[in-house]
Amino acid sequence: MSARRHPLRSVALGLVILWSIVPIYWAAKSALQTESAARSRPVEYFPLHPTLDNFRILLSGQGDVAVGIRHSLLNIVIECTAATAVTVTLAALAAYAFARFTFRGRNVLFYTVLATMAFPPNTTLIPLYRIMSDFGLVNTYTGIVLVYVSGFLPLAVWVLHNYFASIPTSIEEAGRIDGASRMQVFWHLVLPLAVPGIISTALITFLFGWAQFLFPLVLSTDLSTQPLTVLIAALQGRHVVPSTLMSAAGLLAIAVPAVIALAFNRYIVSGLLAGSTK
Amino acid sequence: MSAPRGSARPTPRAHDVGRGVVVEGDRFDGATSTPRPPRRRLDALPYVLVAPVAIFIVGLALVPAAFTIIESFFKVDALDPPTRFTGIGNFVEIFQNHTVMNSVANTAFYVVVGVGVSTVLAIAMAVLLQHPFRGRGLVIAILILPWALPGVVEGILWSGIFDPNSGLINGLVATFHLGAGNAVLLGQNQLLTLALIEVVQVWQITPLSTLLIFAALQLIPDEIYEAAVVDGANQWRSFTSITLPLARPGIAVAMVQALIATLNIFDQPYVLNGAASTGASVTMETYFISFQNLNFGQGYALSLLVALVTVTLSLVVVRFVYRKVEL
Repeated sequence: MSARRHPLRSVALGLVILWSIVPIYWAAKSALQTESAARSRPVEYFPLHPTLDNFRILLSGQGDVAVGIRHSLLNIVIECTAATAVTVTLAALAAYAFARFTFRGRNVLFYTVLATMAFPPNTTLIPLYRIMSDFGLVNTYTGIVLVYVSGFLPLAVWVLHNYFASIPTSIEEAGRIDGASRMQVFWHLVLPLAVPGIISTALITFLFGWAQFLFPLVLSTDLSTQPLTVLIAALQGRHVVPSTLMSAAGLLAIAVPAVIALAFNRYIVSGLLAGSTK
Repeated sequence: MSAPRGSARPTPRAHDVGRGVVVEGDRFDGATSTPRPPRRRLDALPYVLVAPVAIFIVGLALVPAAFTIIESFFKVDALDPPTRFTGIGNFVEIFQNHTVMNSVANTAFYVVVGVGVSTVLAIAMAVLLQHPFRGRGLVIAILILPWALPGVVEGILWSGIFDPNSGLINGLVATFHLGAGNAVLLGQNQLLTLALIEVVQVWQITPLSTLLIFAALQLIPDEIYEAAVVDGANQWRSFTSITLPLARPGIAVAMVQALIATLNIFDQPYVLNGAASTGASVTMETYFISFQNLNFGQGYALSLLVALVTVTLSLVVVRFVYRKVEL
């Protein structure tokens, strides 16, 4: 088809790439500038005198902003890692049961779990805050992780269920004939085959955790558990923080998800499509 | 645990499964390959596997949702105790509240523009990527980048683009002599503010829509297009008569995800425009009512309404856009 080589195609592809990266580029440019260079006219489209000062301040500075950013970076890593580990473990067990066992109430349970995906997040925001507050779990990692896990489980169960269902049952039957218990079959035969599905689920769950804002905004009101997203939003409102320093903080906040998305995009794409279609 | 195959157990043993019920282990309980075991033999293993998820879903999704539904009919106000039944009082107050109604109008703008623009863009991008070419994998990797980033931080990135002093847009305006190039873009004019906030959200939600439509397009066999060319159809005709109808399942799911995201928009206006009413969304008002005014009852009522509208509109989209495709 001649249209595949049409010069407009290349232009269009170029625009798609520009659209996707220009905001990131502009933040990176600004982060490498001093505040006065960023505000200079005519505007510098490239950093003419690049400096790493903003990153140096964030990573080793002793000011409130720098210390807060580093602490909230640690918080977000802890919260996302814990939520991902719990979500994937619990979802894998349940998804396997849903995919391979016949038991009373299976369909009702399965569709109930999936139906909670349709709840808009703010339906449960206020009650979850009140429950966490009753149990003394506001401003704790446990509180945040519990809420994240409850939100991420349905999609994880769905993606892993589809993955397990796609594995031929003959492998498990052979294992059973060889005398393995059902959990041995799961652990030694099914899980190794499901590794790609588990990686997809883990990466997507981790990215969801990293993107959270409204829930941690409500559930963590101080620096002890605030993730980077919440702290950055709070700093944005304060005009004492220079815009170039904010850009550097923004880059710090997107570094991990951006690297994950670029390096593992095959896993993410296949996981998203498994979770959204059928 | 011992290795499954090396273990010298010629016949599987019976499993002890609690409650004193014993199930023969010589049958694989595959959902598809074997008949159901007799009723009286209760097999506990699947319940044990499902239990943790069920506890989470009941305790932290269903119970909270029930709370929202019930308490939206109660006056739950930390500044005006005690909690008491008020019937549809909260709902009436919401509809009489001008700030809330303004946020409803703003959110309607976000939904219409966001769903429309992201879907059109996603169809265009998916068609662009439909047929394999060198470097397609890399383009897809770059394309999904905005989806993977937190909405709040995207607000920060784009505030760099919109900034009156150091922003890209004003810089370009000055460079190309289109004006002085120090215009305040956000917060000045309501329509422009809403549009720019929605640009940032479209940036975030279009990648997933593109992927969903792209996946639907991958199922269309090349022969259909070749047959259309033989029949004299031009590019546009192929697009409207083959691509669009066959992509409808993908387009429907893409529109639903865009609908849910735009109806519940919070991060982008919160970061880009603060508490200003020019850009405030319904979710933002829910947050302010609940966590600043501490009027939980009204917050419940508002979030219940948003949930109902989300589910209803999602069903409408599925009803009118989704078509089962048989190839």
